[in-house]
Amino acid sequence: MHELSMADAIVKTVIEAAEKNDAIEVLEVTVELGQITLLNPEQLKFMLEVLSEDTIVSGAKFNMEEVPVEIECFSCGFKGKADTDELDHYVPIINCPECEERNLNITAGRECNVKNIKIEKSDEDAQDS
Amino acid sequence: MHKIADIEIQHDIMLANRKLAKKNQKILDNANVFAVDFLGAIGSGKTSLIEKLIQEMDYPVAVIAGDVISKFDAGRFEKYNVPVIGLNTGKECHLDSHLVEHALHDLPLDEVDILFIENVGNLICPVDFDLGSHIRVVVISVSEGDDTVEKHPLIFKDADLVVINKVDIAAAVGADEDKMVEDVKKINPDVQVIKTSLKENKGLSEIIESLHKFMAE
Repeated sequence: MHELSMADAIVKTVIEAAEKNDAIEVLEVTVELGQITLLNPEQLKFMLEVLSEDTIVSGAKFNMEEVPVEIECFSCGFKGKADTDELDHYVPIINCPECEERNLNITAGRECNVKNIKIEKSDEDAQDS
Repeated sequence: MHKIADIEIQHDIMLANRKLAKKNQKILDNANVFAVDFLGAIGSGKTSLIEKLIQEMDYPVAVIAGDVISKFDAGRFEKYNVPVIGLNTGKECHLDSHLVEHALHDLPLDEVDILFIENVGNLICPVDFDLGSHIRVVVISVSEGDDTVEKHPLIFKDADLVVINKVDIAAAVGADEDKMVEDVKKINPDVQVIKTSLKENKGLSEIIESLHKFMAE
């Protein structure tokens, strides 16, 4: 459970970017979360909302975008989206969709990126920019 | 009328840790120190394994003992007169590169050949946090149940060596240790899996042999 420290790093990143761009309010934050990054999106979102209170990010809408798992298969050479047999498990078992082998390199799906933010600028700043 | 603006950020929150991990490995390489990150379940035998390795391996060793409260494990290592740094993670569930970097500065790296890093007992959180070690050893035991591997696939996917400990009590706890080996192989076909009973020193020489191989690479 390290959602709190990750959320803290995200909020700090957003505040920094918002201040740099002369925002008066942050309206939306989009976070890319890999499908197999070991963070729970719902918990992360909750922490983000709590940590943004009394900051410029307060009240922003947090969009969580899932990044699918991509692989390179060592057995058949396939490159692309993996077969993720999710079942009821949070961490999917990863198979190659071509040969079903599990001897593979994971090339995407482990991210935690602040993708972009939507901000509101004051009239003066808007004219300046 | 206020202006609304979309700002591209593309900031990878994990990147800071990965960068520091690379830096840590450089510090270790410059000092010719081979570092092993021991991950695994609570009570699986990580501390016991490191204690045995300190005694059996013919190298000057240092240890970083990571835990929520690290003084207990650190105290066990100090008995062997090796340099030990205890890292208290407090509320955090894993070690990260930043904590390890501080410990590296406090250790006499020029005087040691091997650094053992004992991570916090946890099969989930440490996975996403490289520390800069050269290999990752995952230690589990039969008493966690023989479905442990299936339930935590990612930690085994990233492992360089897997130890299944306490096989001497497998029957008593109703666990099939061979199923656990098969489960690891399904996720990470090339990884070496060693069944051990550290209490009886069973499997210890195989682990040491494997570590020697990694050190030679």
